Amino acid sequence: MNMIETKQLTKTYGNFTAVSNLSLHVPKGHIYGFLGPNGAGKSTTMKMFLGLTSPTSGYFTIDGRTFPANRISILKNTGSLIEAPAFYGNLTGEENLEIIRRILGLPKSELAEALELVGLTQHKKRQVKKYSLGMKQRLGLAAALIGRPPLLLLDEPTNGLDPVGIHEIRSLIRSLPQKYNCTVLVSSHLLSEIELLADDIGILNHGHLLFEGTISSLKDYARHAGYPADNLEETFLAMIQTDNSSRNRGDRR
Amino acid sequence: MILSLEFKKIRRTGYIPAFLAGGLLTSAVPAVHMAARSQSFTGLSGTPFHILMDANWGMMAQLTILLIVCGCSLMYNTEYADRGALKMDTLPIRQVCLFFGKFTVNLICIILVLAMQTISVTLCGICWFPERAPAIAETLKGMGFELILLLPTMMLMLAAASACRNMWISLGAGVILTFTGSMIPPKQFALTQLPFAAPYQTLHTISESNIFPCLMICLAEFLVFGAFEIIYLYIRRKLS
Amino acid sequence: MNKHSFSPSQQRPAIGMASLLQIELTKLRRSHILWILLIPPLILWIPSALNADVNLHIEDINILPEYNFFIQGFMGMAWFMIPATLVICTVLLNQTERTNKGILKMLSLPVNTGKICLAKFLVMVLLIVIQMIFTISSYYIGALIASDLTGYDFVLSFPYAIRVTAAIYLASLPAAAVFWMLAVLISTPIFSVGIGLASLVPSVLLLNTRLWALYPMDYPFYVLMTEYGKQAKDIFTSEIRWIPLIPIALAVTILCLGAACLRFGKSEIR
Repeated sequence: MNMIETKQLTKTYGNFTAVSNLSLHVPKGHIYGFLGPNGAGKSTTMKMFLGLTSPTSGYFTIDGRTFPANRISILKNTGSLIEAPAFYGNLTGEENLEIIRRILGLPKSELAEALELVGLTQHKKRQVKKYSLGMKQRLGLAAALIGRPPLLLLDEPTNGLDPVGIHEIRSLIRSLPQKYNCTVLVSSHLLSEIELLADDIGILNHGHLLFEGTISSLKDYARHAGYPADNLEETFLAMIQTDNSSRNRGDRR
Repeated sequence: MILSLEFKKIRRTGYIPAFLAGGLLTSAVPAVHMAARSQSFTGLSGTPFHILMDANWGMMAQLTILLIVCGCSLMYNTEYADRGALKMDTLPIRQVCLFFGKFTVNLICIILVLAMQTISVTLCGICWFPERAPAIAETLKGMGFELILLLPTMMLMLAAASACRNMWISLGAGVILTFTGSMIPPKQFALTQLPFAAPYQTLHTISESNIFPCLMICLAEFLVFGAFEIIYLYIRRKLS
Repeated sequence: MNKHSFSPSQQRPAIGMASLLQIELTKLRRSHILWILLIPPLILWIPSALNADVNLHIEDINILPEYNFFIQGFMGMAWFMIPATLVICTVLLNQTERTNKGILKMLSLPVNTGKICLAKFLVMVLLIVIQMIFTISSYYIGALIASDLTGYDFVLSFPYAIRVTAAIYLASLPAAAVFWMLAVLISTPIFSVGIGLASLVPSVLLLNTRLWALYPMDYPFYVLMTEYGKQAKDIFTSEIRWIPLIPIALAVTILCLGAACLRFGKSEIR
């Protein structure tokens, strides 16, 4: 059973195609790694899942629901961290989360729990504009996790974190499906990261889905297609380079 | 270099179109007013420029001041919005140069607005007072006088905008000052020389003996506000 | 039901307008907006209190000094400062959302965008209530100073001052809706602010034409001028022309708020 399914999902801005005929399948209770270089269309796809941008063609369902008919129902059940975390700089970390808690109608205890989960409790009274990049990222994560939503959309969640922070947040994300019974769609441009986190993986380049499956099936696919299969980072780079050069040839023609 | 940089920064912010639109709007004031109530003015004695300025300059000046308030607030808002100012601080470029670059952009735009107003007033004179010869030199002198009277307002407003990271604060301060300036009774010579109040004066209505002091006071205010800004930027840099 | 599915426990009732209003007010913490609301009334009343004796020597208009003091002081507010404050409030509300993309988080939360828009409008009109409280307070402080300085009692009854202030406040609501619509529809701040502020300048001229009822920025000044007309004969009409004022004001308010609510957040959702 899939939590998210997309069918021929396409998004174009004028002449530029950000996402092209994307057909994704994110299984329930899994961590799905959404991999691709910068500008591959990962954030655009995630924005479509939140109704922050509308598809040009194709469609998607989230737990069988669709936009815009089920917008409120989808958003009630989805925690998100998209691009740079969005917040109110004049408010403290706690006040920012309080806004979200009230909108979601959650009990007060959830706020403290979310802050604790991401390690921001001692900085909760500080104005967010004075936060470091890593602290803002943690606050963004807390804003996504508050209320234990069944679906989490995390766009490059370890951006701006130090190595210890990266490890901490990775372990946290890894534990989420068991802890909260949730499905996680996490994007990254680092295969090494996705490899440590995800059960399933989708590789995106220039808006096209190059591969979808489990990590082990990626290895089989790589061997089969003649890509280096020992080191997955190299597999990923080879896939992207091959796709880019075939695209360039196509453009020239 | 700084000037072209500052012109680049305001691209796609709507600054230039806003000044063009503002210029057109202020220039339309005498035309619309004359079209609606020409009979109240055509019988008056005096030069067309004086009649038109007496009838319309209050409103035109206030719109021009509001345009300056909006323009200055927006200019520094683009600096602060995406932390462009922070990047500028890390570049080998002096904050003071950036400030005066911005001032020059503002000045060029205001000269453009005043030019549009001059053309409009002249054309209105030709259209509604065909029997009276247009006094070009007098018009240019009158509008040049207004430009000098606007200088302290421009300098003070840009300085206020440079000090406010939040656009609504500089905008609020500017609007309050515009309002206060418009409330000052014209009889009080000293008070009417203050920024935001001075631009409501016209060359032909102030007594001849007051013209020179008025110009000198405005130029002095302009220099003092400029100096204050240099000191302010120096202190801010030291404290940050 | 699958344990990973969207569960019914997540189907909480939609957030109410009161909570949303509270949230919107929270966002304005540390915004310094109260200063911008407070300074104009002080600028108006304190100097006029210090020059209160001019009210005792009015020759060409037949009006009692205390009413002249009150109405003259209020003119700047009704003509310029109340509408200008509304324009500044639209900038405050919009920039707070846009500076760190807080609006994106709001749009990805389960709340109706039209409701957010309406809550923001309510915040705006609530801020003007605060300014009205500051205005009345400044008036009474000014009137007490004036009475002390001149020995003439300038203090008007509280119900009268409240009635006129409330009428001016209510009359400013259609203009508030127009400014809010401009701020929502025109995402480039210099244009929405520029149009808003520029629209105030000709309002005095338009008040003396037959077009006044079509120009919502005129309403607060019109209400004050009718009050002037009541206290000083032949200055202005002493009766508010409810027709066409009420139908046009209602239509403008509803249309502008409707358009704003429909379009709110659309420039962020591309």
